[in-house]
Amino acid sequence: MYVREAHPTDEWQMKSNVKDDVCYAQPKTLEQRVAIAQDFTKRYKYTLPFGIDDMSNEADAAYSAWPERLYVIDESGHIAYRGGMGPFNYKPAEVREWLAARYGAVKHGAPAATAASPNSAATGGTSAPATSTPESSTTPTK
Amino acid sequence: MLLVAAFGFFSYMAGSPKDAYGMVRYALPHMHRGTLKVGSDAPDARLVALDGTSRFHIREKTSGRPLVLVFGSFT
Repeated sequence: MYVREAHPTDEWQMKSNVKDDVCYAQPKTLEQRVAIAQDFTKRYKYTLPFGIDDMSNEADAAYSAWPERLYVIDESGHIAYRGGMGPFNYKPAEVREWLAARYGAVKHGAPAATAASPNSAATGGTSAPATSTPESSTTPTK
Repeated sequence: MLLVAAFGFFSYMAGSPKDAYGMVRYALPHMHRGTLKVGSDAPDARLVALDGTSRFHIREKTSGRPLVLVFGSFT
């Protein structure tokens, strides 16, 4: 889920952006936002389903997403996990724990390419079958 | 004097005066705790697909299995 840029060149650019060659101005049009999203997916060979917030920032507003945040929505359409506000409270390990508690641990092979932090912006659904008794894993909400 | 001291402390915490200014000027206005909680109905929103033209709703992706939402940006 790609939302407005966190450290664009015309706002609060970080040294790490320059070092990692991730230098973009804050998009002012949807086309600019789409172009940056496409650059990201190409650079990191990102294959997961991807959604871009349009310039109304509807998704960002609904989920208080900026600059980065993780959620898990369960099968009934309710929020099962709400992560803290990134970057310091952005914890993918908590999502893995929730998924592992629900479906059992999944072993992953070594990733082909690692995404720079802040991370990818995408939607993704788990495909692991339910092998254990579901337990609601209450995770910190912030 | 108090303001200068506060900015100095904030600069130290943020890493530099530039970062302190950046945080106050560009980050804080967009940071919201929000009201969603575990158990809340997941809000729907209309998104643009990577092709820049197609659109879809978040709810279209939830059909019968959990959905992980990873919000972020490139920079």
